[in-house]
Amino acid sequence: MPNPMLLRRFFKHLHRLLVSAIIHPPKTFNMSIRKAVITAAAPDQKSLPLQSLVDRNGRDTTALQLIIEEAVSAGAEEICIVICPGTEENFVKASGELAGRLTFIEQDSPRGYGDAILRARDFVGDESFLHLVSDHVYISESEKSCARQIVELAKRENCAVSAVQAQRENMLPYFGTVKGLREANSTDLYRISKIIEKPTPTLAEQELVVAGLRASHYLCLSGMHVLTPLVMELLEEHVARAPAGTNIQLSPALSELANRQQYLALEIAGVRYNVGVKYGLLKSQLALALSGKDRDNILSQLLELVALHPISGTTSPEGDK
Amino acid sequence: MTVAPINSQTDVTSNALVGIILSEDDAVRNQALDTVCETCSLEQLQTHVEALESFWRSTENLYQRVRALFFLSAIHRYHLPRYFSANDKGLIPFGPYQHLLERRFVEAINGFLAVEQKQGASAGMSSALSKAYHELAFQTLADQVRKSVRTVKGNQWMFRTGHPADQPLRFRSALLTRTGDTPLFPVLKETTAVRMDFTHSAWSDIFFLGMDFPAGAKVINASVNLGVLDRDASPRPPIECYLRVIDQPILRLASIDLKASAEIDTIAEVFDFGRDYLGLIKAAVIAAGIVPPGMEGCGQTIESLLERLIGPGLGLEIVSKVNDIPKGSRLAVSTNLLGSLISICMRATGQVSALDGALNEVDRRVIAARAILGEWIGGSGGGWQDSGGVWPGIKLIQGARAEAGDPEFGISRGRILPKHTIFTNEQITPQTRQKLQDSLVLVHGGMAQNVGPILEMVTEKFLLRAPVEWEARQEAIAILDEIVAALESGDIKAVGAATHRNFFGPLQKIIPWCTNLFTNELVSRCQEKYRDKFWGFWMLGGMAGGGMGFIFAPEVKPEAQKWLQQVMVETKQQMQSRLPFAMDPVVYEFEINDRGTWGTFDPAHPNRMPDEYYAMMVPGWLKLPSHELPHTARYEMEQLGSAYRDCNNAAEAKSFQKLVEGILPGRKSTRTKTESLDELLKRLGFDHEQHESIQADLKSGRFGLPQNRLPANTSIKDAQEEDFVDTRDAIDTQFSEIGARAIAAGEVAVVTLAAGVGSRWTEGAGVVKGLHPFTQFDAKHRSFLEVHLAKSRKASQGRPITHVFTTGYMTHQPIEEHLNLHQNYGYGGSVILSPGRYVGLRTVPMVRDLRFFWEETTQQVLDEQQQKMRESVRGSLIRWAQTCGEGSDYRDNMPMQCLHPVGHWYEIPNMLRNGTLNRMLTDQPELKYLLLHNVDTLGASVKPDLLGLHIASGKCLSFEVIARRLEDRGGGLARVNGQPRLVEGLAMPFEEDEFNLSYYNSMTTWIDIDQMLGVFGLQREELGDVDKVDEGVRNLGLRMPTYITIKDVKKRWGNGQEDVFPVSQFEKLWSDMSALSEVTTNFFVVPLMRGQQLKEQAQLDGWLRDGSSAFVEGLCQWD
Repeated sequence: MPNPMLLRRFFKHLHRLLVSAIIHPPKTFNMSIRKAVITAAAPDQKSLPLQSLVDRNGRDTTALQLIIEEAVSAGAEEICIVICPGTEENFVKASGELAGRLTFIEQDSPRGYGDAILRARDFVGDESFLHLVSDHVYISESEKSCARQIVELAKRENCAVSAVQAQRENMLPYFGTVKGLREANSTDLYRISKIIEKPTPTLAEQELVVAGLRASHYLCLSGMHVLTPLVMELLEEHVARAPAGTNIQLSPALSELANRQQYLALEIAGVRYNVGVKYGLLKSQLALALSGKDRDNILSQLLELVALHPISGTTSPEGDK
Repeated sequence: MTVAPINSQTDVTSNALVGIILSEDDAVRNQALDTVCETCSLEQLQTHVEALESFWRSTENLYQRVRALFFLSAIHRYHLPRYFSANDKGLIPFGPYQHLLERRFVEAINGFLAVEQKQGASAGMSSALSKAYHELAFQTLADQVRKSVRTVKGNQWMFRTGHPADQPLRFRSALLTRTGDTPLFPVLKETTAVRMDFTHSAWSDIFFLGMDFPAGAKVINASVNLGVLDRDASPRPPIECYLRVIDQPILRLASIDLKASAEIDTIAEVFDFGRDYLGLIKAAVIAAGIVPPGMEGCGQTIESLLERLIGPGLGLEIVSKVNDIPKGSRLAVSTNLLGSLISICMRATGQVSALDGALNEVDRRVIAARAILGEWIGGSGGGWQDSGGVWPGIKLIQGARAEAGDPEFGISRGRILPKHTIFTNEQITPQTRQKLQDSLVLVHGGMAQNVGPILEMVTEKFLLRAPVEWEARQEAIAILDEIVAALESGDIKAVGAATHRNFFGPLQKIIPWCTNLFTNELVSRCQEKYRDKFWGFWMLGGMAGGGMGFIFAPEVKPEAQKWLQQVMVETKQQMQSRLPFAMDPVVYEFEINDRGTWGTFDPAHPNRMPDEYYAMMVPGWLKLPSHELPHTARYEMEQLGSAYRDCNNAAEAKSFQKLVEGILPGRKSTRTKTESLDELLKRLGFDHEQHESIQADLKSGRFGLPQNRLPANTSIKDAQEEDFVDTRDAIDTQFSEIGARAIAAGEVAVVTLAAGVGSRWTEGAGVVKGLHPFTQFDAKHRSFLEVHLAKSRKASQGRPITHVFTTGYMTHQPIEEHLNLHQNYGYGGSVILSPGRYVGLRTVPMVRDLRFFWEETTQQVLDEQQQKMRESVRGSLIRWAQTCGEGSDYRDNMPMQCLHPVGHWYEIPNMLRNGTLNRMLTDQPELKYLLLHNVDTLGASVKPDLLGLHIASGKCLSFEVIARRLEDRGGGLARVNGQPRLVEGLAMPFEEDEFNLSYYNSMTTWIDIDQMLGVFGLQREELGDVDKVDEGVRNLGLRMPTYITIKDVKKRWGNGQEDVFPVSQFEKLWSDMSALSEVTTNFFVVPLMRGQQLKEQAQLDGWLRDGSSAFVEGLCQWD
């Protein structure tokens, strides 16, 4: 008996392929995505990627290793990690057996997220590349990893693609947010027209409402993109224009990219967890465990914890009797 | 007459009135209702009513529905009544009336219509239906404004954010970064101008009107900086707001002008607007999304919200200051303050693009939309141009047509938010702007009046397309174009001529009440003194008397503004007993603000809180034990101390002086006040014994609002035909002749009751109602007293009628001075004042009486937000009564406001005790009858036929009653346990009993003097015997019931600020004379126009339109 969920996903995927083939016939060349850029240079990210986790298979690993594996799963052959000066040794240690594929670039005198990506300009050359942030853990709900989903789409559509997730508006302070138009006959594909970094709900409501999403939900970037070399040009222009000392963000460059090239957003079949927020590491770990082979074990331990630590001030189960 | 069933399926669109509503052709659409209806027969009106009734229920379009409702209201109010028989008797049912009070308007209308189907149409029922349609129309409009405000993009999220965890805003990091070694977070400061309306928009900036007729909604509006002449060195933006993060997880709000601050730790308290004077700041905090409106009732702490918004352990402090600009300036100070507060909060949370400096157009529009929201939340109201101070310079603001994509599209013709177009320096040159400043004298005349009724009147008139008013509106729109042209050509004299013409032309045609004697007097003094150098008057908004403008030739302006200051103060002193002044007039210095609202933030040179903030806060800090003093407060005091030591200029020294004054209190003026109250009580013959006895009864529960009522088993039935004489049709001429003879023989005198101040008339402002120049007759403002004398002049049959005005402690001196000054308005007869001999001292109410008054008696429920505000205020008032001591003396106000008149029963005893009646009878022994009436019963006159009827009946008292309309609450003519008498509303065992009574007591009474004296146990010869008179009065007084009532009293403070307190007082009422078995009585049913009373200024417009004013004028003969 075939799994109905898998069947549904298969048909959905097939449908998307067919629609895409009709609406956006492939260009004459294929976008080859061999390189990945992972940013880990923010001062508060120095140690986040180095955190230990247990993966879905019960194997000890690190957040960094998981993100590198995500890139590799999407076909990245060369991976560049942009780091704070003096942290390379730790990152090498945390990369495990994949360390050999890595190139490290130090971001001295840092000027923000966009600047960190721009440091990898020579590394990517004139190729499109996969970009991931180092403090996220992705758990795919499909057979394909999250990164692979966007890379395949980017190759097929021959354009930049960002992974997005619909988020409630109370999460807006954490994300770049996308204004997009849903592609016809698709439930998870959007044509991006604008991106604003961490918008206020007031602005989001005026500028970023996406038809088809539930009320008070917005499409937020998930820290995973396939970017074309134009992004590097745009970032360079931004750096040149910005007054000295100001930070360079990625979102404005992406918003400009949407004006210049076809740029798509894909609601990935998977979930992104941010290790960097309060309890983020714990939540990421639980998500990994609950989606892997130790699920039952962890569930029972969680229940035990819940039973042992009732919320103070509430009635215990015994008290209810 | 009957009305079609509600579900009538007739095709209503063929009806002429429905056609007017539906028409897209302006010529048809703008036709006046009155023009169509004035020639209609009853049947035609009935057809219109049926069609409109069916139409409003079926149409989806807001404006069509609202116009249909206004049409219905006006037909019931002004057109149908002319067909009702004078003798019809329609009882207003209590059930639907309760629906009306509780704002269930549709249910009320259904109920009234159902009863009307059964009992037929009547004046009473039409008055009820008219009121219900009117209220439903306004409610529908208000709901739509609210809906539009909620659905403006950028506002919606706030209504669905219901929990602190959902708060999507974050503070800008710059505000969270301390610099140097200071423990304080940096201060963000916002300065904002106020707005000045150049054209007076003919009130077209009312939201409803902009949404109805966007093309007609246009104003020119300038942002101005202000200073007070001789007080401030130079004009500056009057509004300043300050915001900073603090180290405590609370919301600290402070208003420097109102000297109020609060530390808020629950979200619920933010929504409690009436709790303190910080309602406006709270509304701004809500409208800016810091505490989104969706969180009302979430039961969470402020800490949990601020943790998410700012950070753990941190809080927020917001301070407002309006540079002592008084209330009622007509410069939209409060809306611009709201805009300024919203702007600073939105800067802090990144909702507008700039943390400091100017705002862009998109941001200003968001702020204006939020200010509208804030006004709705705070239960206040302003026009759509009022946040104009947020914009820079001079701009044209105009209504915008709703287009596809707007939330208003398909619902109303216009959008809620207007368009702003700023005039460039090429259009209005800097020289012109300077010339304007060199010519215009801006003042605050000192009057504080409620413009709410005027705004309702205007809305109704415009939506009905009343012909005179509609034409005047077009005229006002044309004047705007003229003013624009004059400004563009730099001709300030022409601007003055146009604003002057606007005020004396279209504006007064639309609302005659927008001017007053004070304003007219000032304008004529200006014209007299400066002749062609006075270029014109400029009405600033709402109504004249508060903020106003006078334009002079530049060469005389400096002198004129000083002269005007003096003249305003003098005129105010002359008129303060007649008109409601809240403060002394002031002259402003002003300049046009070219920046709009402006933020300053510079961590390198941080803003300090204003000096007045420290003067307010430091005394509180000093009271804290050192271990409880927050370290930030300690640091701030150290900073102040250092600044004081380094202080080396006079300005700084002055600010420290304020601080020291705050810390070291001087002698309080309240001591003097208490003494003068006691002196006053002594002088007025206050009866301590009686007061203490009433106070004891009040506290013990023997007296109180519930005890006013007759026993529950009392039978209250409507009067039967044999109980009254209906004089509305015709009275036999023989009575007329009897009356005329008596008048000619000098047998009758008039007694006008003018002892009270008419607290409803000026909403507790303590103005002498009798002297209020409330309307213009024969092109002059006339007071109530003048009208009464003019009627007596006309009624005299060759022999002038003696006219008595009874006065009280508050009204005697002003009335005496006024009548002397105006030589009794040239009245040929004798005018006598009968001063009061009784006075009461108000008491702090019992909480049980307050609760009974608010909860057990039917009261008009207010609009949703206003009702919330009212309930919150009531909570505060209960706390106030408990803190002050229930039933204790009310002394915390101006002495005069602490006293109260003791009811109109005492007026005749006063005439006995003060010797007035004795003197009258000595001087005019032929005198036999008195006509006693209230000061506000303008139709009451010495009518020979009624007098003849009274004489012929041979009875002691003949009371005049009128058919009851909806507004006539407070008892009436009834059979009480089988006996006809007047019964007060206060005494009704059940409120609904009143609704079974057909006739309302007008208080007008014909008195047979000798019989009345007999009731007091006196004869006319004994009136000189003081002891006997006193004994007679005392004995009868003991038999009269004592009622406890709750009255609203205003307490004025600060700069035109007013608080209203409910206080208890006692009364004995004249109508209870009809209950005495030895008093023989008649009850005359008289026409409405004769018996109706003008209790509130809001009635004036209807009084003018329904012909009552003309009726009164017909009774008068002017000097």
